Amino acid sequence: MKHILDLTIAEIHEALLEGKVTPLDLTKEALRRCKENKDNAFEMIIEEDALKKADELSKMPVPKDNFFFGIPYVAKDNFSTKGYETTASSNILNGYIPLFDASVIKYLNEAGAIMIAKSTLDELAMGGTGTTGHKGITFNPWDKSHTRLVGGSSAGSAVSVSDAIVPFALGSDTGDSVRKPASYSGLVGFKPTWGLVSRFGLFPFAPSLDHVAYFTRSVFDAAIATSLLSRHDENDSTSSYKDRPNYLNLDSSVKGKKIAVIKGIINSITDKHVLNVFDKSVNFLEKNGAKVDYIDFNADLLKAIYPAYVVISCAEATSNDANLDGIKFGPNYGGKSYQEVMFNARTKGFSALIKRRFVIGSYALMRENQNEVFLRAQKARRLIVDACNKIFESYDAIYCPAAPSIAPFINKTSENVSEDFMIADNWLAIGNFGGYPSITLPIGFENDLPFGANLICKPFDEINLFNISLKIEEGTGLKNLSYPKYMEEKEAK
Amino acid sequence: MKSLNKEILKDAANRLLFDMNEDEYDTLLNEFDAIQRQLNLIGNIEGVDEAVPMTFPFDVTITYLRDDVPETPLTQEEVLRNAHDVKEGQIKLPKVVG
Amino acid sequence: MNFETVVGIEIHVEMKTKSKMFSLAPISFGLTPNTEVVALDIAFPGTMPRVNKEAVKNAIRVSNALHMHIDQEIWFDRKNYFYSDLPKGYQITQQARPIGSEGYLVINVDGKEKKIGIERLHMEEDTCMQHHFSDYTLLDYNRAGIPLIEIVSKPEIRSGEEARKYVEKIREIVTFSNVSDGKMEEGSLRCDVNVSIRPYGSDKFGTKVEIKNLNSIANVEKAIDYEARRQSELLLLGKEVEQETRRFDEAKKETVLMRKKTDAADYKYFTEPNIPPIRLSDEFVKDAIDTCPELYDEKLYRFLNNYKLNEVDAKILLASVEMADYYDKAAKFTSLYQPLANFMISEVNGYLNKNNLTISKFNIDPKFISELVELLQSKKINSSQGKQIFEKLVKENRSPLIIQKELGATLVNDEGTILKLVLEVLDANPTLRDDFKAGKTRTQGFVMGQIMKKTGGKVDPMIANKLILQELKK
Repeated sequence: MKHILDLTIAEIHEALLEGKVTPLDLTKEALRRCKENKDNAFEMIIEEDALKKADELSKMPVPKDNFFFGIPYVAKDNFSTKGYETTASSNILNGYIPLFDASVIKYLNEAGAIMIAKSTLDELAMGGTGTTGHKGITFNPWDKSHTRLVGGSSAGSAVSVSDAIVPFALGSDTGDSVRKPASYSGLVGFKPTWGLVSRFGLFPFAPSLDHVAYFTRSVFDAAIATSLLSRHDENDSTSSYKDRPNYLNLDSSVKGKKIAVIKGIINSITDKHVLNVFDKSVNFLEKNGAKVDYIDFNADLLKAIYPAYVVISCAEATSNDANLDGIKFGPNYGGKSYQEVMFNARTKGFSALIKRRFVIGSYALMRENQNEVFLRAQKARRLIVDACNKIFESYDAIYCPAAPSIAPFINKTSENVSEDFMIADNWLAIGNFGGYPSITLPIGFENDLPFGANLICKPFDEINLFNISLKIEEGTGLKNLSYPKYMEEKEAK
Repeated sequence: MKSLNKEILKDAANRLLFDMNEDEYDTLLNEFDAIQRQLNLIGNIEGVDEAVPMTFPFDVTITYLRDDVPETPLTQEEVLRNAHDVKEGQIKLPKVVG
Repeated sequence: MNFETVVGIEIHVEMKTKSKMFSLAPISFGLTPNTEVVALDIAFPGTMPRVNKEAVKNAIRVSNALHMHIDQEIWFDRKNYFYSDLPKGYQITQQARPIGSEGYLVINVDGKEKKIGIERLHMEEDTCMQHHFSDYTLLDYNRAGIPLIEIVSKPEIRSGEEARKYVEKIREIVTFSNVSDGKMEEGSLRCDVNVSIRPYGSDKFGTKVEIKNLNSIANVEKAIDYEARRQSELLLLGKEVEQETRRFDEAKKETVLMRKKTDAADYKYFTEPNIPPIRLSDEFVKDAIDTCPELYDEKLYRFLNNYKLNEVDAKILLASVEMADYYDKAAKFTSLYQPLANFMISEVNGYLNKNNLTISKFNIDPKFISELVELLQSKKINSSQGKQIFEKLVKENRSPLIIQKELGATLVNDEGTILKLVLEVLDANPTLRDDFKAGKTRTQGFVMGQIMKKTGGKVDPMIANKLILQELKK
């Protein structure tokens, strides 16, 4: 171990309590690593304010059980941050300085967490590769040759945690935007039940699918973050009124738990190694008393996930981003009429990829198409969710590889909508369709690059999800995985 | 869904108040082609027509309504701070007609 | 050929809630631009809507007054379009499930009652205010997000007069229920009317023309009558009515073309995903209705039966809810209901008209008006003293009893003093007693006149009359 910053949140908290480190030490080191990082992960580094806050916190006693006290963190640049430019990696928002903090930013700041940077994303969070932000490609920290993507859209946040810059980063997840990059970067990526964590201040992509989600390096850290962030927020009308359980009251027991593996997803994976490693983790669960069944799932519905997702998310997005017109905020290039002002701002402000998605979304909503496009996609969503709910009547969780492979090569990746998609590459969106809690965690490596598996439970069943995940983590031993630590251990061998 | 061509897509883009270069419209046409075929497949799924379109992931019905109590508004300076063109405490646009 | 006029009306009513429809920005209709704005109103990214309870109550109250079916599950939709006054690029409205549906209201035409069907009533939010100048436009977001009710009639209105009465009735409902100021000239009640004509007996609709920017109820009637004439002239000349949007030119008293309608705009509606469905309990709906301020018809009934006012006066007082409320308040301090009504109608209204004021700007304690009416009725003062006191009252808002004392505005009611005055007159005119006995009835009035002249009218006429009679008979 080079620095206490390399540890998990829970461990760093212990060290802070024992006086082995101060918030200022942690923040200085995090900022140093942040500046050293070469993966194009940041929109903005917040040095001065972070150091000032860390210094103040360092003079205060460390409150026991306030795990986030003094913890440096990174927020995806689609969270509204008061006084700090927030662009969602889109030129149309260049120079926009919000007047308010997102609720989750407020909760973290109040707990004493220290925001040290805003991270890059696919433009407006509408992508899955981390290659489409206005600052260019964000690279996978595990591949120093910069040929592989880290995944997106929460690309910079994934880099921040897997390169051990911070132990926690905020992301957002509309289709798999935290859980897929988590797989490509060896992290825990957790998306809670829809409505559990406030979306107030998260720049919307597709509200019916959007979730605040986050990266950590351990399952327990994800539970810690959930304890802090999950609360009713009156600013978000969709925020759940349900009482929150104690998310830290976990036993990692899987005895008697029933887990479903969807054959259709497994069958679409060609990478034998991924499948073998996944099987091992299944065996481990069974050995510990879980019952794992490989089940059928209507193949047509599996194939419907991707197109339904494209249609619904693009349709909602075209509406959400209609406020971006250069009039109230963002670059304004002038024009002879108000239409021209808006036209110029939007033509220059959005990349072609975003524009194409807006046209798709808008087309789906047009009166003459709505039935056969938008509503059909919403109907497919219903059938997919119904099918999942049926599984949850008999099973505690659905468990499958989070992605069909390790992180793909950048030059072999396209964000274009196409027909040659793989089910295993897009299945995580069922977590968004049904608002299910869903977690990705690392299970293995191929050529020194990590890959993960994903677990989904029924809504508000976070405790079950964490317990099973803790057992999987125990089986893989891949707790607190980061690129620097992995390399260090490799060299030591 | 009507048969598509570049003109329709161009019109749709312009209604969204932006334009793209020609290549992008070609790409878009291909994307639509893919979506179209997949939607047709969805249309063949048993029971899809009878399904109720889903907006919310599960039953999220609430009974709460916010009380009619105002909060302190932004200052005029804050409202206008991010705007590019401001005059007399308001956002300025070229004359809006029609 | 004779044509039948077919009119449908869409009315937007701006509510006077304390905060906006979906944001917590205050509403005070203040004049300083962009000072009643929070982040949601100017569409800063990440802001989310929160439904105003009072706005929902208001919508329930108006729906109920219009005999509508009330949907007890509230859903909102997005209406997507780009316009300079629409900050989010969409308006949150209720397209698929309006809170109120299938109702009616009754208007009186030529002494007969007529039901006008109402298709829907829904809640939505207002856009920002645009101020147009010679070569630029300024945007004020104070109005953005103010709650609106939209009321859509069925095309069952058949003339300008019926339309006027329909709008008057709607205005009356929204003002009496305290939902809105209902001021067309200030834009808190806005009318768009659709006018078409067809041969009598036809059940098909003609091409409809939309008329916008009507800023008074009188203009609604004028615009429709003009438009129906224009359309019938076109048809009689063998021309066609084109589908278009027109506005009413007040100076020319005619409708003028704004724009030709192309394809109906496609608003690409979909369910607002940031507002979950909201279930309204039976109690909530009942409570909203039960606590609705008294509507016109109930108030009229009460004024006629409790205050025993005559109908003409009651209706004058009910011409505005503010006047009726003022009367109600004043009536708590007196039981002289009809004299109070008379005073309100002649004196108070006269004062307001003379000073170009409305009753809402009349800041005099209603209790003082009642005191003054009591004073006048008790004959402790005469009407000219009453006027004098009223003049001071409207300036100083102090008790008429105190003002009366200060002015020394009293009547002589001491019998001895009055008798002295009577005898003085009789002594100066020795023939009077004989005249009286000879049956000249004018004598009595002559004496009274002389006494009043001597005292400047400050004698209690009842006592004086009694004493004059007594002395003349001697």
